[in-house]
Amino acid sequence: MGYKKYYTNKIIWYLITLVIAVVLNFILPRLMPGDPVSAIAARAVDGMTDSTAIQAVYEDYAEKFGVNLPMSTQFLIFIKNALRGDFGVSFSQYPRTVGNIIASSVWWTVCLQLPAILLGWILGNVLGAVSAYKKGIFDKGVLPVFLFMSNVPAFGMATVLLYVFSLKLGLAPSSGGYGFDLIPSASITFFRSVLAHYQLPFWSVVLITVGGQAIGMRSMSIYELNADYVKYSRFMGIKDRKIVGYVFRNAMLPQITGLAMSIGTMIGGALVAEIIFSYPGLGTTLLAAVKGRDYPLISACTLIITIMVLLANLFVELIYGVIDPRIKAAQQD
Amino acid sequence: MRKRLNKWTALVTVGAMTMTLLSGCQKAAPTDGTGQTSKAEETTQTAAQTTTAEEKKDSADAGSTPRNETLYFNGQQWGTINDWNPLSSNSNNAMAITQQDNARVIVYETLFMYNMLDGKLYGLLGKDYSWNDGQTELTITLNPDAKWSDQTPVTAQDVAYTFDCHKKYATAQGSDYSNYIDSVVAKDDHTVIFKAKLDDKGLPVNPLKVVEYVPKIYVMQKAYLQKVEQRNGNDADKIKQDRMDDFVASGPYKSYYNDDQKVVFVRDDNYWGKALWGKLPAPKYITHVIYENNAAGDTAFKSGEVDVSQQFITNVQKLWEEDGLPISTYIDEAPYGVCATMPTAFFNVEKPGLDRKEVRKAIAMAVDYDQIIASAMSNQSPSFKDVPRSIMNPTSGEQALVNQDALKDYQFTGNDVEGAKALLDKAGIVDKDGDGIREIDGKNLNFKAECPDGWTDWNASLEIVAAAGSKIGIGIETYFPDANTFYDDMTTRKFDICMWNPPAASVANPWGRAMAFMSTDYAGLKVNWTGNYGGYINEDANNLLKKIPLETNKDTLKEYYTELSRIYLDEVPSFSLMYRPMLFHAVNESVWTGFPQLDDGDNIPPTDCTDGYGIAALYNLVNVK
Repeated sequence: MGYKKYYTNKIIWYLITLVIAVVLNFILPRLMPGDPVSAIAARAVDGMTDSTAIQAVYEDYAEKFGVNLPMSTQFLIFIKNALRGDFGVSFSQYPRTVGNIIASSVWWTVCLQLPAILLGWILGNVLGAVSAYKKGIFDKGVLPVFLFMSNVPAFGMATVLLYVFSLKLGLAPSSGGYGFDLIPSASITFFRSVLAHYQLPFWSVVLITVGGQAIGMRSMSIYELNADYVKYSRFMGIKDRKIVGYVFRNAMLPQITGLAMSIGTMIGGALVAEIIFSYPGLGTTLLAAVKGRDYPLISACTLIITIMVLLANLFVELIYGVIDPRIKAAQQD
Repeated sequence: MRKRLNKWTALVTVGAMTMTLLSGCQKAAPTDGTGQTSKAEETTQTAAQTTTAEEKKDSADAGSTPRNETLYFNGQQWGTINDWNPLSSNSNNAMAITQQDNARVIVYETLFMYNMLDGKLYGLLGKDYSWNDGQTELTITLNPDAKWSDQTPVTAQDVAYTFDCHKKYATAQGSDYSNYIDSVVAKDDHTVIFKAKLDDKGLPVNPLKVVEYVPKIYVMQKAYLQKVEQRNGNDADKIKQDRMDDFVASGPYKSYYNDDQKVVFVRDDNYWGKALWGKLPAPKYITHVIYENNAAGDTAFKSGEVDVSQQFITNVQKLWEEDGLPISTYIDEAPYGVCATMPTAFFNVEKPGLDRKEVRKAIAMAVDYDQIIASAMSNQSPSFKDVPRSIMNPTSGEQALVNQDALKDYQFTGNDVEGAKALLDKAGIVDKDGDGIREIDGKNLNFKAECPDGWTDWNASLEIVAAAGSKIGIGIETYFPDANTFYDDMTTRKFDICMWNPPAASVANPWGRAMAFMSTDYAGLKVNWTGNYGGYINEDANNLLKKIPLETNKDTLKEYYTELSRIYLDEVPSFSLMYRPMLFHAVNESVWTGFPQLDDGDNIPPTDCTDGYGIAALYNLVNVK
């Protein structure tokens, strides 16, 4: 019964948040200065000289994109179509559909970011816990190195990796998702090429993630290590490995929140790696959409981010109830 | 026990990370051009390795394209392609569909190819053309060898039906050209007549626009167009949005593969053009990798992954002088290419202050163009001392149409701060309140100069314009919004000073460029995409602009263009900041060589081996031994 009320409350609040977020996702891009028809019209009328014909092309696009309609009407159309999974046609890549654009780029982002975030998170937590518990070289050597790296801006880290490993050492390709001379196929050559192109973007994300996670984990672990239950366990003669297990579990809670947030915002976070390494993905799609005032594409991308953040948070909150019953109890009070 | 655990964990944590990083990487292509031998070896090896695979698949979307059979490009294709439809206005398929003054003719073909070096049209699907006396009918004879990729002949009916479709479905091209071309009629299978639209007096509205169609608009197959019409129920919108994946074209290449990272074309070995060119183009494949930005494209170009670069490269000469890379340009020394366009600062003449020609001219006189050319363009432009100002670009064909002697008194070559100050003082535009900024009617002269953010050479140029303003007591602040905001400002005249390109080289220029500088028609547009963005109105200039398209006498044309240039330099409704190549054209000769060069006697323009008559270069390429 306790769980049911806890979960119901959470889900209702998240639904309300989703509705507000969807409205903002729709309205905010449309409040930006600039004309969404401009870019496409610029391409269409290039070289045209008859003023009436130019005006006709411009108005045709304005009508097709529906930007002349009142915003409330546009919103109703957007909601009606979105509920059917149809986000309409992109303005900047007209007549490609938003669904098609997202489908072709989202998996590159997920496959790059998800493993990178998870590995960075795992390595960071292991390093933090080990630094706190073992000290020595981990605390004085490895951790500061990763802390230094985590403070390097993402574009700086990506550029350094590109310069050193690709341009100077020639160990990795400089751009793209697969070899410039390849055609995708189910071959070992292609797979190896994808893997090789994956390395630099992947490590540019991992290396700057580890330090931040490690320092958080270290602080939490030190706090936990000084807790009475640890001292008591030691007096009892319980093995180190067992105690580390207890400490880990208790120190993990804030880290899980951090992980959920990272996963939720991974689309935006992929941008730097995608730009520096010309790696395909949703980050650059979103950036291009913003620059091109591509309202349908912006709304769809931000909706994905919104839903991912909400789902990640909801998942964490729900799992908290299981991991730490104190939270559920506190919520129920 | 604790020490051992410590060591083990250290080994696993650090070792695993390093090893994963290193093991996952494989040796990439050599990064400098000094290793030509290794590159050649690698090429041979790659070719040998892939030959078997090629034989096995060929039609399958698998494997790779051999490096020594593939010509790689950058700087043309940005983003995923949308379609293969020349009726669409947003194909975003630059390598296949670029219907502009020098149309890209590797997939679809035009009737003629324009050569900016001599200003002439060269036959492609068309063989020859002639006007009747009144310039009301342009008769074109088709090349009898021309065939579609399905091996049916290209006929006059195809040419006529293409125009009919553009007109019927109100494509961007159809909407424009139907104002100048009344109809296109097939006289017989190999003769087609373009009938010009006539005005009330029975004169052609604009014969220049009729000729402009010929090297610009692709010819499409009538039978295929009818198929597309049928499957779309003759619905104009649907037809213009049809992806045309099954397209029929007449060019030497066809689609091979495309995704969001590249577009690959394969040569059609049955291409009819063997009869025209004497052979097939050398590269079997043409690939354009879709780079995220110029930097990524440059890196690939330097490392030999790109053969032809259509990107601006700062200090391009350093690539061969200092880095020793096998890279070259059309000309070995500055300006390294053929400059055919002139990025220009347009004044909003409706703005108080900028409505005075003394203010406009003073700003233009004070700008340090040599600094712009040296820094922003890294000397890839002739100076205004080398090629004095007019409405002409620096090509010899256009320069022959202006009498520079008559313009001497109106010239300005820049950095003339004292002259600019004197001009303003004489006009009574002075700084009365001592704040360092001159006033008109008590109001300080403060302006914003804008161009899109991230266009670094343009941004740097406008900074130099702003610096010139401060030297002569005119406040100029730079403003670099994102491209869309800029387009909005420029086309709706919400700017003080904006920077944009007028038309470059084409069969309709310099008339088209003169229109972009001074056409009164454009000044009145509600949303102006075409030129004269600042709204300058001069009836004398407009009358000349109306006479030029109907004039065929070269001396009279020269007179008109000289007078237009005089008005332009005297009134300064806008001023060019530099000359600039229409297309950048740098080539990496680590795999292919034989690219066009100045004075090589071939008369092939540096249009990246793909545009207009520049495609002739594809037939001269050979592999580096």
